[in-house]
Amino acid sequence: MADAGDPHEEILLAPIERTGPGFYWAVALLGVLIAWGAVAYWAQFTSGLGVTGLHQPVGWGFYVTNFVFFIGISHAGTLISAILRLSKAEWRRPITRMAEVITCMVIFIGAGQILVDLGRPDRIMNVIRHGRYQSPLLWDATSISAYLTASLTYLYLPMIPDIAILRDRLGKRKLLYSVLALGWTGTEHQQRVLNRAIAVMAVLVIPIAVSVHSVVSFVFSMTLQPSWHSTIFGPYFVVGAIFSGIAGLIVTMIIFRRAYRLHYYLKPIHFRYLGQLLLIMALLWFYFTFAEYLTGYYGAEPEELKVFWAKFSGPFWPFFWTMVLCNFAIPLLCLVNLKRHTVGKVLVASLSVLLGMWLERFIIVVPTLSLPRLPFPEGIYWPTWVEWGETAGSFGLFALFYLLFTKFFPIVSIWEIREGREMALREVEERIASYLPGGAEGES
Amino acid sequence: MDHGPEVSDRLVKALQWVWLGGAFVLVGGIILWIVHLILTAWTLGDVPSASIGISIVAIPIFLVFMGVVFYVFWGVALRGDRRER
Repeated sequence: MADAGDPHEEILLAPIERTGPGFYWAVALLGVLIAWGAVAYWAQFTSGLGVTGLHQPVGWGFYVTNFVFFIGISHAGTLISAILRLSKAEWRRPITRMAEVITCMVIFIGAGQILVDLGRPDRIMNVIRHGRYQSPLLWDATSISAYLTASLTYLYLPMIPDIAILRDRLGKRKLLYSVLALGWTGTEHQQRVLNRAIAVMAVLVIPIAVSVHSVVSFVFSMTLQPSWHSTIFGPYFVVGAIFSGIAGLIVTMIIFRRAYRLHYYLKPIHFRYLGQLLLIMALLWFYFTFAEYLTGYYGAEPEELKVFWAKFSGPFWPFFWTMVLCNFAIPLLCLVNLKRHTVGKVLVASLSVLLGMWLERFIIVVPTLSLPRLPFPEGIYWPTWVEWGETAGSFGLFALFYLLFTKFFPIVSIWEIREGREMALREVEERIASYLPGGAEGES
Repeated sequence: MDHGPEVSDRLVKALQWVWLGGAFVLVGGIILWIVHLILTAWTLGDVPSASIGISIVAIPIFLVFMGVVFYVFWGVALRGDRRER
């Protein structure tokens, strides 16, 4: 494809070419969070897990909650990008790159939580050298490795033509862009090869993404712990992951739309469509939550009911009902009518869902461990400053990685927008004509 | 616009091979690790179950990733220009 630059493309290249004071302020702010996380981790590393709120019987707290939450957010990229790409949804074009970057950044942070939770990071070598496939934790490690590899490939391939644009148009980092562009000149053959590879990866990445969160849920559901031993945990976790992934993507889009002045590319209609998807996921999430808790309640198994009531009216009720409010009531109110104030409403709903989904992970992990089936002493978990610091540091690290990415590569896919302008209109017209009765394909 | 200093084609090509090699080392390392875990399970006499099946399924998936990356490298970097001449 020729380098037919649209004057508006300068908006996409501007953050890479120039660095304003806003960037440094953002890095400084995130640096404070990361420093807090580093101090917290150092305290834990030198003194052991005793400085955290983790103790018997609650051995999993914020760290595993964060792990499940971050891995869930990672579904933003794959499922939004791959599904929209395969279904030829044309409105995807300015969105896919942002979504794919979230996936890659967040998997690193999510997997890192397990390293922090180990307390002794050197013990990771035991998993590598002596791991046994009987444990769902090993299935998790395998599927997350596959997902990370697939996501990195799926992020990199559609970036090649854009990296070539940077190589040809920017005066800096010439060597980096020349290497990564793989000699891209936009010939028909190159385009064909790339499109084929992207299509293969888009098909492959969807079942891998679904398997990842199913396997994350298996870590819980393969045990006989009350409220965990559930057959619908796999799909329940996948739905929750897509739900939080869409919310994460919307928040990221709104932040960068404002910071990099991307209003020309990210229009209210994109937020309306994503808002509608979020609404559908909110309804699905409610259905799964209802089914999960109803079956537990109806079975009336004493150990199960102890956990059930601890969530509904016991010590965990504020978390449980805030979760319901954030994941269902607020999104429903905000998203049911998106004709006016679209971006504001979608932002409120997304922030609410992010909080609600983090609480959902917390509500799954902690109450069950507080009230175990086996005759262990019961106990309540409350995190110390170490877990708060590590959590703040993890969010800060994710945001910093994302910000740094935007300083090296365009956050909106330039070539896909061009392709949309040059070819999509004609293709969409032909496709619509083929759907309609009396069209060429309808007769056969 | 100043396009800055030109970079050596040979250096770029060499680094591209390193880049491809890095991708192969990553995927190959993961495959070796999975094979090692299966052998460990075999040595310890673990009951063959779905878990071993899951691990065996993972290997072809990683091989497909390697194949896709190599296909793009071959089609874009090695044959991309030549085909059009």
